[in-house]
Amino acid sequence: MIIIGEKISVIAKKVREAMDARDPKPIQDLAMEQWKAGAHFIDVNIGPAEDKGEDLMKWMVEIIQEKVQAPLCLDTTNASALEAGLKVHNNEWGKALINSTSNDPERFGMLELAAKYESEIIALTVGKGGLPADSEERCGIAAEIMGRAMEFGVPLENIYLDPLILQVCTTQDQAMHSMKAIQDFQDLNDPPMKTVVGLSNISNGVPRNMRSLIDKTYLVLLMYAGLTAAIANPLDKDLVDVMKTTDLFLNKSLYADSYLDM
Amino acid sequence: MSFVVPKESFGGKVLAVDFGKEGSKLTIGGETTLPFLAFEGEVPNRPVVAYEIQDCAPEDWPETVQSIYKDVSGDPVSWAKYCQETLGAKAIALRLVSTHPDRGDRSAEAAAQTIKDVLAAINIPLIILGSNHIEKDATVLVAAAEAASGYNCIIGKAQEGNYKTIVAAALAHNHKLIAMSELDINLAKQLNILITQMGFDKEKLITDPMCSALGYGLEYTYSVMERIRLAGLAQNDPTMQPPIVGDVGMYVWKVKETVASGNDVPEWGELEERSISWETVTATSMMLSGSNLLIMRHPRAVENVEKTIDELM
Amino acid sequence: MALTGVQIFKLLPKTNCKKCGFPTCLAFAMKLAQGGIELSACPDVSDEAKSALGEASAPPIRSFALGTGATAAKMGGENVMFRHEKKFVNPSAIAVNIKDNDANLAATAEAVAGSEIDRVGQKLRIDAISIECASGDSATYEAAAKTVAEKAPGAAIILNCRDAAVIEAAAKAIADRKPLLYAATDETAEAMAAIAKANGLPLVASAKGLDALSALTEKIKGLGVEDIVLESGAESAKEIIEHNTQIRRAALKKSFKPLGYPIINSVIRDDSILETSIASVAIAKYSSIVVISSVEKWKNLVLFSQRQNLYTDPQVPMQVEQKIYEIGEPDKKAPLMITTNFSLTYFIVSGEIENSKVPSRLAVMDCEGLSVLTAWAAGKFTAAKIANFVNESGMADMVEVKELILPGQVAILSGALEDKLEGWKITIGPREANAIPTFLKGRE
Repeated sequence: MIIIGEKISVIAKKVREAMDARDPKPIQDLAMEQWKAGAHFIDVNIGPAEDKGEDLMKWMVEIIQEKVQAPLCLDTTNASALEAGLKVHNNEWGKALINSTSNDPERFGMLELAAKYESEIIALTVGKGGLPADSEERCGIAAEIMGRAMEFGVPLENIYLDPLILQVCTTQDQAMHSMKAIQDFQDLNDPPMKTVVGLSNISNGVPRNMRSLIDKTYLVLLMYAGLTAAIANPLDKDLVDVMKTTDLFLNKSLYADSYLDM
Repeated sequence: MSFVVPKESFGGKVLAVDFGKEGSKLTIGGETTLPFLAFEGEVPNRPVVAYEIQDCAPEDWPETVQSIYKDVSGDPVSWAKYCQETLGAKAIALRLVSTHPDRGDRSAEAAAQTIKDVLAAINIPLIILGSNHIEKDATVLVAAAEAASGYNCIIGKAQEGNYKTIVAAALAHNHKLIAMSELDINLAKQLNILITQMGFDKEKLITDPMCSALGYGLEYTYSVMERIRLAGLAQNDPTMQPPIVGDVGMYVWKVKETVASGNDVPEWGELEERSISWETVTATSMMLSGSNLLIMRHPRAVENVEKTIDELM
Repeated sequence: MALTGVQIFKLLPKTNCKKCGFPTCLAFAMKLAQGGIELSACPDVSDEAKSALGEASAPPIRSFALGTGATAAKMGGENVMFRHEKKFVNPSAIAVNIKDNDANLAATAEAVAGSEIDRVGQKLRIDAISIECASGDSATYEAAAKTVAEKAPGAAIILNCRDAAVIEAAAKAIADRKPLLYAATDETAEAMAAIAKANGLPLVASAKGLDALSALTEKIKGLGVEDIVLESGAESAKEIIEHNTQIRRAALKKSFKPLGYPIINSVIRDDSILETSIASVAIAKYSSIVVISSVEKWKNLVLFSQRQNLYTDPQVPMQVEQKIYEIGEPDKKAPLMITTNFSLTYFIVSGEIENSKVPSRLAVMDCEGLSVLTAWAAGKFTAAKIANFVNESGMADMVEVKELILPGQVAILSGALEDKLEGWKITIGPREANAIPTFLKGRE
């Protein structure tokens, strides 16, 4: 199970202030903590970043990779900021991951960047306006994105399909449809397509003390459905333990009394 | 291939709730299937249509419906009697509009007196509605519940922000209660849970998931009501089994289609028929999606909804 | 059950040869699942796949058009019982019935032709005219059909006549308009099917009750007619809702092919408002064609609105038009608020402004129907885009003091927005709409 550490996000006040002040320390610390906790990618979410997004993304990539030997997941809707980040991304520890393209024409350009910089890319299976109703519609959108990716020269192996997880508290029936989509996505190519979710979306809007429980329980179901990667909080030890335990049941890791310490 | 009637049988049922005094009681709900599907379950009670009246002159109602009541609407007692005697109302919904801080700010005591006067003048069941001001309703509806003690009224609406005192008052004076949330099935369930956790019997509860007018979000209410019904019937969710109220009139009689004259908007046709059928079709749609109780304003709309119910039962 | 795109994809050659016109086998499979193309477009499909895909790839409710051309009404093709599960696909067609010997025939046809109105960005109209054969005379009926065809060139035509000998000439005369033959009964099935087949027309199967109706559609299909519409003999609202529910359930849940067709219901009543109410029952409950007795503008508006509401896609947020809405009668000192164009957001925010009784302006910005926070996260409600909207909409000229009230949920944008909007003061409003009345009154 690939973990994309989600903590470096513009939505967090501490991170936003560090970004504004160009103060590297808080950001580097967060990256380091997540990496040590087992994150395979560090997500760098700078938001829409309309002003000086290029500078910001370049700076973020440089200061993080100065400390952490991991590939980054570059997360913004601003394509030129994204490109600025890709340009300086150190691929020594793995390809960068773009977050994200979709079926919205505004996001097509992301595929071009993925081809140009040979990076991996998350493909959100949503179109312009409106959400997919079920797995079938998500697969239909995935098929369109995959066709487009081939035209742009992005190998399908570099794509992570994201069914878009919606909050259970208002769109409950979608939890099941997204799970089904994780299963169905794998059938869309041989070798199977890779899949990813933004896990904590499932618990958006529920009381804070219940979020971890909801995230963990849903993660187990998604893993059983064959999920490749999750954008999640690696600092949530319970969550990581649940992940490791589920991997045992799925026969993806070997049991030992101290398996949680590994 | 021969045809077999595809019936569904549900584990749950809609709770039957009665209101009004012994001898003039009405019952709503009680069905064991989706609205009007009597071929597969019981549909024991007709939806009830209540006439809406107010405790002050309805100056903000459009002319088409205001003019019907022009001789009686200055006084809630005359208005109530007119509905009962002339229009043949089966129930009355008295909205205490003038208690709203912006609409006269009448006191809870004054409202209580109005309720006593109206109750003394009619012999059909009464629904008592606040002015939809969260804080004020918390005091007004408490006084109202006391004033109507013994009459087995429906009082409302209890909302997330004020349910505690209103629930306690309904409990103390043995009334039925409308629990209202804003177009969100999850909030509707949550409120019903909170209310029953206070010891209020779910069999005295009525859910108001918030109405909307035709053309103005009707589809949201329609789907929320359908989902509430399915949760109560198919998932046997006890918190989703109370009957549903559609507070139709107040949402309909403010939209442009019930106000603009045929001269102003020629492509919309005559105002009279347009506005009356606007209320009729909104109410019919609410019944199809699950409403057991409708609160309406125009007599011709009520008449056509009753005829529609005649055909549906 | 119809196969999904993924299931079909597994049966295809997976060579991505593009001979079908699609970039990948997967894209072709997805299109096939939607019923947009035929399997035969793939030259390399195996016999095994062909037989597996045959019946199963057909949708559970047959889909075809009523009428011809751009204004033809698509029918059938539905997938669900409830609109919250997934969009109802093809809105009910509304048809007005008129007798062939009615003096107002031409005038009614013209009224139908002119019935189009614009509602929330959609052009809506009476879709069809049902010509009832009251004369019993073939020549009169044919003439009526020609008149309607000429006077209402965009409308679909329904030939409401049960006598094969009378309907034939009319059917032939306007065959290019693909009229719906209404209807064949068990007694007339052979003769009606022959006319339908000879002229390539859809045919209504009319029987009392669903047992008899199932047998009749099987018979008609056996006679070579594929495009069938169901009439079950439902008259009261109760029968309409019960029959239509049973038909839809049988087709969707039991894959019962004999009832896998669109439904026609007549809802004609003496009272026009009652008729409107019963028509709304048919529209809500699975009718594909609703036959009414008159075209009145108010009635059209009501039925169009209800149909539009119930047939909106629950996954696509309904949008309101981007503009500055005036609530109450705002003067130049009135507060100016901004929000996104998700219709529910608009209804709730404007409702709370109304409740406050403070005359105000509400600037509604096109964010593809997303709510405030979602639009911000998706990059649609950003400082630059808001600034652009403010400048292009000419808001500055509507107010005396340049102050814009921003939803509290996007307070984060206020700094950037002040930088981009010179001379404007940005005020942070409440996070939730229900706090708007207190907020607005507190400003006075």
